[in-house]
Amino acid sequence: MILLKLKEKYDIPIEAEVISPDIFFDKTHTELCGLPLYYGNKEKKLGEVFEVEGEKSDQIYLEGDLSKIKKIGFGMSRGKISIKGNVGLHLGAFMKGGEIFVEGDVDSWVGAEMTGGFIRIKGNAGNRVGGIYRGTTVGMNRGTIIVEGNAGYEVGSFMRRGLIVILGNVGDFTGSYMIAGTIFVFGTLGARTGAGMRRGTIVTFNPVSLLPTFKYDTTYTPDFLRVYFHFLKKQGISIKEEYLKGPYRRYHGDISELGKGEILEFAA
Amino acid sequence: MEKISDVTCLFCGVTCDDLEVFVEGDTIKEVKNACILGKATFMNHKADVAIPRIKGKETSIEACIEASAEILSQSHFPLIYGLASTECNAQRKAIELADLIGASIDTTSSVCHSPSLQAIQTVGDSTCTLGEIKNRADLLVFWGCNPAEAHPRHFTRYSVTPKGYFVPRGKKDRQVILVDVRKTPSAKAADQFIQIRPGSDYEVLTAMRALLKGEELEVEEVGGVPISTLKSLLEKLKTCKFGSIHWGMGLTMSRGKHMNVMALLLLARDLNRFTKVVASPMRGHGNVVGIATVLTWQTGYPFAVNLSRGFPQYNPGEFSSVDLLARREADAALIIAADAFANFPRAAAEHLSRIPTIAIDAKESMTTKIATVVIPTAQAGISAPGLAYRMDHIPIPVKKVVDSPYPSDQEVLKRIIEKVRSKLQNRV
Repeated sequence: MILLKLKEKYDIPIEAEVISPDIFFDKTHTELCGLPLYYGNKEKKLGEVFEVEGEKSDQIYLEGDLSKIKKIGFGMSRGKISIKGNVGLHLGAFMKGGEIFVEGDVDSWVGAEMTGGFIRIKGNAGNRVGGIYRGTTVGMNRGTIIVEGNAGYEVGSFMRRGLIVILGNVGDFTGSYMIAGTIFVFGTLGARTGAGMRRGTIVTFNPVSLLPTFKYDTTYTPDFLRVYFHFLKKQGISIKEEYLKGPYRRYHGDISELGKGEILEFAA
Repeated sequence: MEKISDVTCLFCGVTCDDLEVFVEGDTIKEVKNACILGKATFMNHKADVAIPRIKGKETSIEACIEASAEILSQSHFPLIYGLASTECNAQRKAIELADLIGASIDTTSSVCHSPSLQAIQTVGDSTCTLGEIKNRADLLVFWGCNPAEAHPRHFTRYSVTPKGYFVPRGKKDRQVILVDVRKTPSAKAADQFIQIRPGSDYEVLTAMRALLKGEELEVEEVGGVPISTLKSLLEKLKTCKFGSIHWGMGLTMSRGKHMNVMALLLLARDLNRFTKVVASPMRGHGNVVGIATVLTWQTGYPFAVNLSRGFPQYNPGEFSSVDLLARREADAALIIAADAFANFPRAAAEHLSRIPTIAIDAKESMTTKIATVVIPTAQAGISAPGLAYRMDHIPIPVKKVVDSPYPSDQEVLKRIIEKVRSKLQNRV
């Protein structure tokens, strides 16, 4: 295992895409300390910003207030990153595999456009969880993100595949322009949930205010929910008995787009 | 008295190029053909002219340039912001400077049509020039904008009254519809005013897209507008010869922002199944489209670009000025041809007074009041010639009509670049 402890918190953010199991797994301690971090227009060495212990491992443990450290785990495909502290932008963006655990809050774009891997955040997340960067029209495509706190707007926007679970509340435009995939929201939702949905599933346990382009279908308890609940229980997330029983009101939309998305709203 | 014709006005974005300016010596005496905003811009050219100073003490331009170069060459995460009220050659120099010092470079779009640009990047824009609109459009929809006050000559030069090739009777051949949360002065030019509930633009536009597809909705009204009204608006849009939908801050600054604009752009796109329809944003602040054009040409992106690592990175929310300042990340700022302090949220404005800030402006402003260094320049379009881009991306040359005691923005930036370059070389 490699342990990184932040020495000092700077106002100027640091771009740290080198902090990735794909890069760390074969580096000696000296090589690790010499890896480049970007502090505005200046390069700093990893050893300058972090205390480094260990070498040649794809298991990375980080500690400190990393809220100004960006791009940790960017594009990673293996190994594990565990963080104790808050984390900056783009954590695990474009991730292909491996795992990220954070005991703290994360900033926007966590797991953006990922295509595999597992991210779990114990605190709150920013905007665009599992979301996209501007100009993208096909976003997250496989992978799992669990946020135990709240998330901001556009969770899973333009998602193509994968699973996002938010235990807290979410902002506006959850699952906007979703192509497919699944989003669970256990807390309250903002406005315009499922806007522009093509396909995909959004499951809510609180009342959701819907756009006029969503239509009610039926009230039932879909079997596939049990598969998801079983998976979530295995992750240590407790599911209320009533949620297991259902039923759920099913709506389809967004009929201004393909409209084969479904929103399942727990019928209390 | 000298009469200068075909003068371009850089105030609002309509970029009128038919002004007549009457000059005596170094004073503008009269302006013809301009609207109230343009006339004031030219007639007041000598009012509130900025004074060169460092930390409040008046000094020479040369000393200010030296001090600016010192600040910028020492910074690690500098911000260059503004650029809307200057001309393209100066804008090009600002980008060169940003590249040299590894700065973030951002424009007034950031707090204006940023959502529109993001929407266009996602779904595209069916659009055309204002000349096409003047000659072809027989149905105009103004959604969440107020041209009568913000772009005074838009109606008379392009969109409502002028006689066009395919609309020979001018206004008589056109239908004008205004959609807004309140009745603005622009409603006087409209044949129909549709009032919608504030914050419901996304719902209304999305509902219209669904109705256009032939879907039936299960509600009587959306955003306070009866479905029948939406259906009849769609009918007008479907059966016109050439529809043009214009939008402004009503969409970009209300809940939904870029999503609101996306919905409008998708509606315009969908309507092209029936007839020709374009969508055209009401861009403003002089030459903001100029900096968007030049910055896109040079970096690939229209605003909120960071060059710290030697290649362009674009991310509104990360490299946009308000965020760089409110999060206290920028360690120096160059504000040029814009009044950041007056227009930014408090947290961002406060940070500007905390860090070394250079203000390059023809006039005193709230930004010059708090800046460390103030460099007055010749006002683009009045005392400095060059190029500008109209709101529809048409390049229009910009004239100089009177002299100024101060150098142009382009000249000042060139001199700052020279000094920064030599300072950076000496450091190595």
